Amino acid sequence: MSARVGTAKLVGQAVKRREDPRLLRGGGRYVADIKLPGLLHAAVLRSQVAFARIAKLDVERARSDRRARLVLTAAELPEGTAPLPCIDVMPDTKPAHQPVLARDIVRYVGEPIAIVVAESRHDAEDLLERIAVEYDELEPVMDPERAMEPDAPLLHEGLGSNVINTLSQSVGDVAQAFAQAAHVYSERIRVQRYHAMPMETRGVVADWDEGAGRLILFSSTQFPHILKSLLSGVLGLPEHRLRVVAPDVGGGFGVKCEFYPEEVVVPLASMRLKRPVKWIEDRYEHFVSASHAREQIHDMEVAVDADGIIVGLRDQITTNNGAYLHTLAITPTSIASAILPGPYRIANYSAVGTSVLTNKVPLAVYRGAGHPQAVFAMERMMDLIAADLGIDPAELRQRNFIQPDELPFDRGTEIVLAGKVVYDSGDYPECLRRALDLIGYSDARREQARAREEGRYIGIGIGCYVEETAIGPYESATVRIEPSGHLLVYTGSSPHGQGHVTAFSQICADEFGVGLDDVTVIHGDTDLVRHGVGTFASRSGPIGGSAVRQAAAIVREKCLKLASHLLEVSTEDLELADGQVSVIGAPGRLLSLAELAAKAAPPNPLPEGLTHDLEATEHFEVPGIAFAYATHVAVVEVDVETGMVTPLRYGVVHDSGTLINPLIVDGQVQGGVVQGLGGTLLEELVYDDSGQPLNASFLDYLIPAIGNVPRIEVAHMETPTPLNPTGMKGAGEGGAVGSPAALVNAVEDALRGLGVKIRSTPVSPEALLSLINEARAAR
Amino acid sequence: MTLADFLREELDLTGTHLGCEQGVCGACTVHVDGRTARSCILLAVHVDGAEVTTIEGIAGDGPLTAVQQGLWEKHGMQCGFCTSGFVMTITELLALHPEPTEEEILDALGGNLCRCTGYTKIVEAVHEAARLASGARSEGRAA
Repeated sequence: MSARVGTAKLVGQAVKRREDPRLLRGGGRYVADIKLPGLLHAAVLRSQVAFARIAKLDVERARSDRRARLVLTAAELPEGTAPLPCIDVMPDTKPAHQPVLARDIVRYVGEPIAIVVAESRHDAEDLLERIAVEYDELEPVMDPERAMEPDAPLLHEGLGSNVINTLSQSVGDVAQAFAQAAHVYSERIRVQRYHAMPMETRGVVADWDEGAGRLILFSSTQFPHILKSLLSGVLGLPEHRLRVVAPDVGGGFGVKCEFYPEEVVVPLASMRLKRPVKWIEDRYEHFVSASHAREQIHDMEVAVDADGIIVGLRDQITTNNGAYLHTLAITPTSIASAILPGPYRIANYSAVGTSVLTNKVPLAVYRGAGHPQAVFAMERMMDLIAADLGIDPAELRQRNFIQPDELPFDRGTEIVLAGKVVYDSGDYPECLRRALDLIGYSDARREQARAREEGRYIGIGIGCYVEETAIGPYESATVRIEPSGHLLVYTGSSPHGQGHVTAFSQICADEFGVGLDDVTVIHGDTDLVRHGVGTFASRSGPIGGSAVRQAAAIVREKCLKLASHLLEVSTEDLELADGQVSVIGAPGRLLSLAELAAKAAPPNPLPEGLTHDLEATEHFEVPGIAFAYATHVAVVEVDVETGMVTPLRYGVVHDSGTLINPLIVDGQVQGGVVQGLGGTLLEELVYDDSGQPLNASFLDYLIPAIGNVPRIEVAHMETPTPLNPTGMKGAGEGGAVGSPAALVNAVEDALRGLGVKIRSTPVSPEALLSLINEARAAR
Repeated sequence: MTLADFLREELDLTGTHLGCEQGVCGACTVHVDGRTARSCILLAVHVDGAEVTTIEGIAGDGPLTAVQQGLWEKHGMQCGFCTSGFVMTITELLALHPEPTEEEILDALGGNLCRCTGYTKIVEAVHEAARLASGARSEGRAA
């Protein structure tokens, strides 16, 4: 048992991570690293056209090759293999589900058609070339507005339309607000299609144990329990015959909280062959089959009074959902529609959100999931309004903010799966003030003026937002004290870089007054952790952490109760600290956690009310959404000759309630900001009119490299949420939520006076030069 | 067979990771005769006779090196997938430039992509590693 130095709490401290030494030595075990005896390798045949009937699919030359162990097409799938489900369906959602393997029709370049299994990946890929596919090509539709026209090609004949969901939000009396407004602004704001693009692609190893009648599935996933449940449904295999394990996962960002066809066919192959089968996605496949993100249009109208107070807001949201409903398909539209008004009072608001099918890769969630697009749209409007009315952009926001004493504030909107939007706690005005201080706003404005005199263009941009985090329905934790005195924590959270092992060790260690090394955190394995939800939507710190805290608290009580019985002293006279229970005022009379655990083990007799083992399981249920919030401020320089944008400085004041580990939270914010920067300045998934992806590699799809980014300064406010015992809100996504807004506002600010209005991303050099030249021509 | 596949499949040294197999992301970076190389676009036969060091060989069974320690101290890693590549590149950088400037750091690490950290803490980690390494050298001299 390691000694605790003093009684300093670990929660709140920037302790370095326990995960790191193993990873630093190359000891990580990602799905591609898993080797099992008899392992076979799979390769997936994917559609090379965007929309076609499969006229011929001839696998015989592949199947009869001596290297082939198995070739599976849709025709060979077991009777009753269900299509892939969507878990965020709303009442109106149409069933545009993706079949596990395409049968008669393919709907996007990259769609899986067949799987080949061989002794090596090389052989499997060679065998793909022996499969003959003939396509009767159909006219594809790539643009969502075109897809909604009555004569547009239909993605799914039986559905009669390419619109797969319509939702709406409505608060107050928007018509009246607009009728009485002093000014009305309307803009079309567009966000492009881009991608989570974790450094580790997807992958699965499926191992069917014929003797036990059980399947083990290793998958690079963010939600092993949900995956198990969904797989059970699609395969028709009861859950107790499935074990899902998330090994070390090299980033997820939402693209891995999805249930994919490969997670079905590779297990089926293993079950057929009675040998383990591995499939590791290559980067090209990741570009054309892992969920895409963001692509959304906002047709906004804002009604404003003479002082710049927003009295009404209307939005028509159109999301390009790609060819099918994926697992979390409606969420980006739902979230965008629900939080668009942001931290502003806006009493009258209505939105309609339409999810539309096109012949692109299916779209789902990516860090922020609807927030980045909506915040971008709203914050762009704020700056456009500020410029038009001659009000400083920070001042305009201050005039419109919900004040701290108005919280909890019922937004009047709802988010699918998560519930009602009621802002729980926070101080938006103070957050903006501190962010301006952090960046040195007045100095930056002076610098901007000086630079202009020198013919240089520097701009300052603000992005304020409120963000749904800590969603339910619950998270699980089991805490147990071993006879050695060591603490075991089993969590349903499934980390992929967020440091949960460290954070949950801090929480648990604090409950017992022990050191971090006295705790082991176990996650990712559905055989070891019975129930769980997983890591996405910024929920694991607050919800997973609360479950750990509550389970640990119950185990604490058990320790005290057992000690009371053994020491024959009332629990009021006992204290648990520094890894032991002692009698207050009688220092020699104590029991260590190890002694207590040993006494709690069977077959020791126990007092009434105590069961064997010092163990407790809690499923922490979420009473409501916790809303994190932040202000981002960007300072950029724009080269008007090349269109290049150079971010100079970046600051974030971020409030995610009580912090377990500020170092980890800083890392999350910084990482998110840079992903947002990528999506704002660099990244776009480009398709041509025939539906071919044009830049499906790192050579042409540019994610930020170290030279593209400024240092990102993060400061924290900690306004606890009343919604969980730890007071925590989620912190994983916010960086990506505020950055497109802050950066684009900065670019436009840099070009103030040139007549440049930016309404879409990415702000590539070409796009910006085009706007600059158009503005010049118009003057 | 690429060097990366040879290391990972034939020698079971899975600490070297594959992020793109096109030579862009740097996750597969190893040392060949003491200089960084992208193992995903090198054929194994090309290094016949050369000395190859992978992430496993950086610290071996010993304590973490200054580079690894720096990344640990400054939270310069999250999911760990790009980390092996960064350790190899930073190790080479500090061997060539024991007190690197910000520009030298950005230049040297431009070929290693990270999607989790946003790079701020990686840069801090390099400065910390340089500090730790120079401290160790001073101690070595004093000993």
